[in-house]
Order: sequence, then structure tokens, then C-alpha cells
Amino acid sequence: MRKGVLLLIVLGLAACAPEITRRPSQLTSTAPPPAETIEVTRAAKVSVGPVGYARVIPQGSTWTRVGRVAEGDVYKPLDSVFTVEGAHVHEAYLVLADDRIVGFYLPVEKAFSPAPDGPNTRLAFKRRQP
Amino acid sequence: MRRVLLLLLVMLLPACASGPKYGEVVSTLPATNPSQGRIYFYRPSALGAAVQPDVTLNGQKVGTAKPHGFYYVDRVAGNYTVAASTETEKKLTFTLDPKQERFVRLKIQMGLMVGRIVPELVDRAEAEGELKDMSYIAEPLK
Repeated sequence: MRKGVLLLIVLGLAACAPEITRRPSQLTSTAPPPAETIEVTRAAKVSVGPVGYARVIPQGSTWTRVGRVAEGDVYKPLDSVFTVEGAHVHEAYLVLADDRIVGFYLPVEKAFSPAPDGPNTRLAFKRRQP
Repeated sequence: MRRVLLLLLVMLLPACASGPKYGEVVSTLPATNPSQGRIYFYRPSALGAAVQPDVTLNGQKVGTAKPHGFYYVDRVAGNYTVAASTETEKKLTFTLDPKQERFVRLKIQMGLMVGRIVPELVDRAEAEGELKDMSYIAEPLK
């Protein structure tokens, strides 16, 4: 009986994930295209949102610089999608300060979502010239 | 016992989509208008088949979350929100560029009382791997 109640509570909690932490942010677009592209040379695990669940930035994935926010440079995935999830699911771009993943830019919400341990996560990548 | 299983199977069959498969129709679909992009919706799992909520795009109904079914809509470039209301509502937000194709998987997630549909944005390679087994539901195109 207790196990059943526990299972119900766990299921209930899973249905009530908190909203992604974010604050309004202004993206200054890169112009003119084509923009700089980076290729990730080693997979990196980064935590997301208030729960801090892990997302993996895959090795070999490519990202193109689309602009800049106050926190860093904004990179959009090429030929793939990247999302972050809390109460809802949001398309997201990477925000890098040099090689550190500081958070995510949510293009629909026009907001920055900090990565809880982001500044400690370094991303290994090589640059491709346009 | 066998009769019960057979009855359950018969009850579930109408709940799943039927029609031509993705591979049969994809090459016959009309090209998008240059100012528009295309958004595909599909539900690969028959788990919780009785749960088939309406799927909305920016608040407008575009179809239902029918197991093993897919459909698409063409929309002007911009920001979009997908939702499927069940016991709770989980929304998906994404951008759409001109001529871009987006793929939204409608995943079933079991909840306290009933299942709920979670829309997920997936990339083309992953989506096409799953879409090959999906049946085209033309109704939302009308």
C-alpha cells in the first residue's frame, strides 16, 4: 500500500516540474551572414533549469553564431534541434562566454536561462571559418 | 482470458491511425510557399491509445494526437507554441524559418489518472526514422 502511495506521489511530482528559470534578454544579431560556425570536439554534459537535469551537447554537433546577449555569444544548432525542459519545453540556443557554457537563449521567449553549473562547464570545440 | 485479450485488441485497433505510410506520401506533398515553413506532427506510440487530445498551434486546433498517425501544416515564419491538453498541459515553443521543416513528436507520458501528451521538437533524422511507420491523417489539412 505504501509503495502504491509513493508511486502516486512520484508520478504527481513528475507532472509538476517547475518553470525554467529565465530573464528577458536582448539578442543582437550577427550581421552580415554567413556567421562563424563551431564543431564540438568532445561531448559535454550541462545541467539545465531549476531541477538541474543533465543535457548532453554531442560530439560532432555543429553550431552557428547568431548573435550576442549580455551574458555571451549565442549559437544555434545546425541540422539538429536543442531544447530545455521545465514545466514546458523550449527551443534553446547555447550561450558561450569564451569556452564556458553560461546558459541558454530561448528565441521564442526572448529570454536567457542560466545553466546552474554552467560557468564550470567548458565546451571543447574547433572553429570553422565562414 | 484469450477472449478478454482479443476484445482489448479489437478495442485498441480503431484508436490507431490507418492510411498511407509516410514513405508513400512524402514525395507527393505540395511544396511550401517560399514565405512559409512546414510543421509535421506525429505520435509514434500506441501506449495510452484512448488518450487522443486536440493538438493546438498558437491556440488553433490543427489535429489530434492519434497513435501511429502524422499530419502537417504550413505556416508563415515566426514563433510557435504547440499544446495538447490532457490532465496537465505541457507546451512546446519553437521558431519556424521560411522553407524550414520542423518535426513535433507527440509523446505519451503516464500521469496520476490518465496519460498526457508531451510535444517534443526532434531533428529530421530522428523524426524520419520514426515517421516511416506512421500513417498520414489528412483531415487537419482541410
